[in-house]
Amino acid sequence: MIVLAIDALEYTLVEEFNCTNLKQKFYGKTNITEFSQPRTMVLWSSFMTGKNMEKEILAKGDKEMWNTRIELKDTFFSRFADPKIIDLPGFNYLKEQHEQERMLLKNYFDAQNIDEKNKIRTEYNNLAFEHHRKVKKEFTETLNSKHDFVLGYFSVADVVGHLNFGNRIMMKMIYKDLDEIAGTIKDSFIVLSDHGMEKVGIFGDHSNYGFWSTDFEDIGSPKITDFARIIKY
Amino acid sequence: MTDENLKFVIVGHVDHGKSTLIGRLLFDTNSLPEGKIEEIKQLCESLGKDIEFGYIMDHLEEERDQGITIDTAQTFFSTEKRDYVIIDAPGHVEFVKNMISGASQAEAAVLIVDAEEGVKEQTKRHAYILGMLGLSQVIVVINKMDLVDFDRERFEAVNSDLMEFLININIKPSYVIPISAKNGDFIASKTATMDWYDGPTVLEALDAFRTKENANKKPMRFVVQDVYSFDKRIIAGRVESGIIRKGDMIKVLPTGEKTRVKSVEEYLRNVTEAEAGKSVGITTEDKLFIDRGNVIVSDGDMPAVTNRIKANVFWMDRTPFKKGESLHFRCATQEVNCEIEKISRVINSSTLELINEDANEINNREVASIIIKTDKPVVVENFNKMEELGRFVLGREDTCAGGIITELE
Repeated sequence: MIVLAIDALEYTLVEEFNCTNLKQKFYGKTNITEFSQPRTMVLWSSFMTGKNMEKEILAKGDKEMWNTRIELKDTFFSRFADPKIIDLPGFNYLKEQHEQERMLLKNYFDAQNIDEKNKIRTEYNNLAFEHHRKVKKEFTETLNSKHDFVLGYFSVADVVGHLNFGNRIMMKMIYKDLDEIAGTIKDSFIVLSDHGMEKVGIFGDHSNYGFWSTDFEDIGSPKITDFARIIKY
Repeated sequence: MTDENLKFVIVGHVDHGKSTLIGRLLFDTNSLPEGKIEEIKQLCESLGKDIEFGYIMDHLEEERDQGITIDTAQTFFSTEKRDYVIIDAPGHVEFVKNMISGASQAEAAVLIVDAEEGVKEQTKRHAYILGMLGLSQVIVVINKMDLVDFDRERFEAVNSDLMEFLININIKPSYVIPISAKNGDFIASKTATMDWYDGPTVLEALDAFRTKENANKKPMRFVVQDVYSFDKRIIAGRVESGIIRKGDMIKVLPTGEKTRVKSVEEYLRNVTEAEAGKSVGITTEDKLFIDRGNVIVSDGDMPAVTNRIKANVFWMDRTPFKKGESLHFRCATQEVNCEIEKISRVINSSTLELINEDANEINNREVASIIIKTDKPVVVENFNKMEELGRFVLGREDTCAGGIITELE
């Protein structure tokens, strides 16, 4: 089983850009209304444990929540003999990378003039794209390995989207690249996002639903916690 | 460079590389805004890819959405010989509508086929429409040759498959060119990738085409859009062909009444004549009853005034036409109700298979030879003689078919 976990993959853009590989045979929106806000760490933690982790994650506070590391035995990944998880928040994501992204995002909004903002935006985008290329390479290589469960987490649509969601060409190119990645997967797979994204001027903010697709079953409007049950081993 | 430009359309299957070809044509002729190509190139590199020219079209569409580009459906580039206008044809319905309405008349067409995928149903349907609309200047480009290792045999196989279809619909392409729009092979320049091909590049082939016969040289047709009564009575309309001049003896159709042009009126300009393509007003020496939909012609020249028309139509509505249904018939500014009296033949536009003779219905994407009966006389002409009054659309609330007049009764 393979899971293409894409942060902030927006349902309406998958449709608009006609990403046929991401859509597969069955696709739709996830129901995340049980959560007070669409928070990345809360949603992925709930996904892997199969239970609503909002209270537990929020109790850690805004800063500490990003250090969450759920153990393998507490996730549904443990049902598999040889799972491979790439860069998933709440499990094993590259903390420094994401810290640097968050810092640049803060610097961008703190910056006082447009030149400074543009410079930070370029640095921020470059950082996100560089990381995306690394994850893509690792994921592609892993597809040829013998793991019985592979999950690749791609943050580019979320990270770049926060500062550039109004840049349609940039978002289309990212979505088409993600679609190409999905097109390289030969086995059965699930595409899942924690939440989508909505346009706020040139910026992007999390929307109140996620995206799912499979090639084997129409699962309607699932909760993110349902996937621990849906994904068979 | 001449002052004439050539309008052409790129048609073919949706995934066969239209956007990439347009992007490449604009890039190779330096027709892109400064900085934009660098931005797209940089983004592609960020994703670990070579530049994808198809995104240039996205950029142009975005500018249109934001109102930066005034024209909503046309893209421009130039060669040393002349200027070119690429007419956007996102789908065959839009294409037929534009061609029939005269909003964006193509003088030539590029039919694009993917070398790897070969001829698809949509390729044939678009080719059929080109034939039906009388477009005789056609270039076929076999694209994505890079995906088939620039293989001559594959090119010949796709070419032969396509020609078999085109011969049956009387389209003889002026050129068949193997290209890679992505790499730029044989678009603006010849490359070493296909040394077995010794024909022209796409730009050279386009440069060899003729621009349309100057509409000023055709008989005068002035279609009336409205009549305004100020201190004088102004008949507003568009000169579809020929030149209308002060002092000309004219005839108003369908009534056939005659009078003389007293003045030609153009806003803020003092003129005595107006040429084809101009929207102007005229006043007449006699006060005749003239209304929207009337056609003014030179005295002594007579298009048909009839209520029975033989035509070929391309049905492009999901709801089929069933005999007995009343439709709107629109030709230039004329709009009347009509019935389809006879459906002589219905054929599949992509396979050319005869579906039915003396039929009772026409379905989506089918082409039919029909006889139309209008409830009032209309002024029309054979499409081959005078395109401007030889094409029409049929509609319910929206347009559901486009057609050309083949014979007048």
